[in-house]
Amino acid sequence: MSSEAFSQIGRGQPQIDGLAKATGGAKFVADLELPRMLIGKLLGSPHPHARVLNVDASKALALKGVKAVVTGEDVPGKKYGVFVSRMDETGLTKKARYIGDTVAAVAAVDEETALAALDLIEVDYEVLPAVFEPEEAMKEGAPQLHDEYVHNVVADTHYDFGNVEEGFRQSDHIREDRFYMQSNSHGCMEPRGVVATYDVSGKFTLWTSTQSPFQQRRDVARALNIPASKIRVIKTYVGGGFGSRMDTHPSHVAAALLARKTARPVKIILSREEEMGITRRRAPMTVYVKTGVKKDGAIMAQQLRAMADGGAYACTSILMMYNAGLTCMIPYRIPHFKYDGYQVYTNKAVTGPFRGHGANQPRYAVECQLDMIAEDLGLDPAAVRLRNASQTGDTTISGLHFVSCELSRSIEEGTRQAGWTEKRGQKGTNRGLGIACGGFVCGARIAGHSASAIFVQVNEDGGVTVISGASDIGQGCDSLVAQIAAEELGVPTSDVSVIAADTETTPIDNGSFSSRVTFYAGNATILAARQVKQMMAEIAASLLEASAEDLVFRDRKVFVQGSPDRSIPFGQLAKATEAFGHGRLIIGQGQWAPTNTQFPDKTTKWGNISGSYSFSTQIAEVEVDRETGEVKVLGVTIGDDCGRVLNPLSVAGQVQGSVAMGVGHAFMEHLVFADNGQLLNPTFLDFKMPTTLDCPPMKLVEVGRPDPIGPYGAKEIGEGLLITAVPAICNAIYDAVGVRITELPITPEKILRGLEEQRRREKQ
Amino acid sequence: MKKRLEFTVNDELLDLEIEPHKTLLEVLREELGYTGAKEGCGLGACGACTVLVEGAPVLSCLTLALEVRGKKVTTIEGLVKNGQPDPLQLAFVNHGAIQCGFCTPGAIMSAKALLGRNARPSDPEIREALAGNLCRCTGYTKIIEAVESQVEAK
Repeated sequence: MSSEAFSQIGRGQPQIDGLAKATGGAKFVADLELPRMLIGKLLGSPHPHARVLNVDASKALALKGVKAVVTGEDVPGKKYGVFVSRMDETGLTKKARYIGDTVAAVAAVDEETALAALDLIEVDYEVLPAVFEPEEAMKEGAPQLHDEYVHNVVADTHYDFGNVEEGFRQSDHIREDRFYMQSNSHGCMEPRGVVATYDVSGKFTLWTSTQSPFQQRRDVARALNIPASKIRVIKTYVGGGFGSRMDTHPSHVAAALLARKTARPVKIILSREEEMGITRRRAPMTVYVKTGVKKDGAIMAQQLRAMADGGAYACTSILMMYNAGLTCMIPYRIPHFKYDGYQVYTNKAVTGPFRGHGANQPRYAVECQLDMIAEDLGLDPAAVRLRNASQTGDTTISGLHFVSCELSRSIEEGTRQAGWTEKRGQKGTNRGLGIACGGFVCGARIAGHSASAIFVQVNEDGGVTVISGASDIGQGCDSLVAQIAAEELGVPTSDVSVIAADTETTPIDNGSFSSRVTFYAGNATILAARQVKQMMAEIAASLLEASAEDLVFRDRKVFVQGSPDRSIPFGQLAKATEAFGHGRLIIGQGQWAPTNTQFPDKTTKWGNISGSYSFSTQIAEVEVDRETGEVKVLGVTIGDDCGRVLNPLSVAGQVQGSVAMGVGHAFMEHLVFADNGQLLNPTFLDFKMPTTLDCPPMKLVEVGRPDPIGPYGAKEIGEGLLITAVPAICNAIYDAVGVRITELPITPEKILRGLEEQRRREKQ
Repeated sequence: MKKRLEFTVNDELLDLEIEPHKTLLEVLREELGYTGAKEGCGLGACGACTVLVEGAPVLSCLTLALEVRGKKVTTIEGLVKNGQPDPLQLAFVNHGAIQCGFCTPGAIMSAKALLGRNARPSDPEIREALAGNLCRCTGYTKIIEAVESQVEAK
């Protein structure tokens, strides 16, 4: 795969805003200051389940410096939420459904006064019985969190493709196992926030750290019962997202209400405790998986039941449970597949999308079970993956279609680089290797609007501006659209500036989730840039007395192919184009969504929901200390198919970040709730994340070929690699010391218990 | 009751009146507009608030502003001299060590302090020095590489 024909694509390029971030110039929402700005704080319920009977803010309002208090009574509009069918939030609530649920908000002249005011707000609660476990919440007579959802089941998703009973009948070997993945926090380094202003014409402006300003605009408009065009939402620099900042937060509604009430700007920045405790988190999920295989490991049938503890509100419930089943069908050829997924309300903090979004938990279950099956049958686990691997051109029984798939190559190359045959099965060394395979979508098109749009404008000096609706949350999509525009127009990326993610000035974009941005916004940029290129080529053609098809745009010049002396500098061409005739606007537009997808059938769920899919193999090498139960990850090898690598620097960054996050997910990160629903560890002191000392060395092998649909052949890299990290580590631990982890996180206690059970079994 | 705080920030001598309970982070960000240092946790657990006091790395969210009376404080903004970024800042940019950028100022300041006291740190020494700067995006590899690139050639 040669990138020699490209001038920018395929080159490692630093982010275009790197210097701003490295010099303190990049303004995050907490850095914004406006004249007469007030500081807002949120008041959370101390009860996990309670009706708010009355809020008496009189003492708070009497405190010097306090300017306004708002409560659930001040929310005039309708419930909002990620999906039209599951709108269950009002921001400020009249019924608290978890400890920390926002019941009021205050605006004051400074933070201290606002915090003091919170203590003076008196709330009368009618405390209700609460429920904390999904199985309990589903029982008859359990406390109901939301009236509309019987038995607290907010999402139940079912697939039934083929005939699993027939598949099991044809199987030589069947296993049924249960796995559990814990809840953890996204751990974004930036506590989120919003600055809201309200002007006399009735227009709100919100600056906020978000993965989708368009989502906030829609939701705040609903909550406030005003037209969406009366709200402008501007994405600031965002200090991490990973899915946590996609949907609207009570602080958005509160800040808007307070700004209107006080006629002053209001800034609400969450504390770290709030960022961890009252936003979103990974849904803990129990996965029951039953798989039937032939003697050679070929999968005949698979049946999954997934139970997600959703917390107090729906968030992305239906999509997460959909993903959980859907993604099981990506890496392997499965003739019969049945899935039942449930997300259940409990009186705890809300769960939501988190890198992988429902794919992680089943992937862990399936990949561990496949290893168990391999052992039962005396097969090499890598060979079992190869036996079942999806191939280019496959269509799954659910309708997913793979226009490109290099999974087999990723397994072969990954295992080779990891020293699979040499290092596995080394009894007595306490070292082991484990494998996990996976695949992921490049944006899931399930329903409604899902496209990206880009404008490309060329300025009179040849500088280029890309106007993008996409949200850069650190993953580098601003840099990506700049790189693509630069490639098409033959200028260095440094000549391109990007305006993005402002609902007033940039085209609508769903947001940064589901690994859709490179795929959608990248392709939209190509279209927009080519429109501009075509316009300028026509002018250049007349100036150079050549034909437009023979022109090359490169190195800030436009020249005739084969006769580089017949050229015009790009800047000069821009000026000439602008001045042409009666004057011309050099602006191109592009809108893109894949055309090879279908919204899933409402009943059967059949449909190809992504234009293309990424595939990968992750192999972990671990060493286990039998005395202490501690595990060291010695190294991780990844065989990855993300199609064509557009920017090796960005891709490596995503891979390294995924591996580190995987180590955290596997061993350290566990949000722990008390019996009363209180989150016990909402700080970095007690919720551990990997540091520089915890990250293993990593080998990356790119095995992708240019994809027919992705921009220049690129596919996603943001989420697919995280989902295989944890099972690879678990499988490696089994190879090392024969201990199987079926409940996460991996702790020294579990390892030691496993070793003790082993000793007891051996004695018998 | 406000107290007098005379100190130097980024080579500028300052004479302020501040509340005695204000942290150095609050004074830098709110009084002086140096928003480069960030509040990531308020507990000293994440390192995003790291600044230099007399060249040594300090968690400014846990430091009372009055503690640095008479001292020289350097923030991320102070590494840019005459419009030129510090080579360490450029190294972070060019090595791809920056994604969301929130941990970046703190990490750069910790690295700057390390290189100030040890011009040739080893990889383990770099990791140790930066172990208090949490990063959720990068997995640290490129951050270490960026610092390594500034290690004096032998």
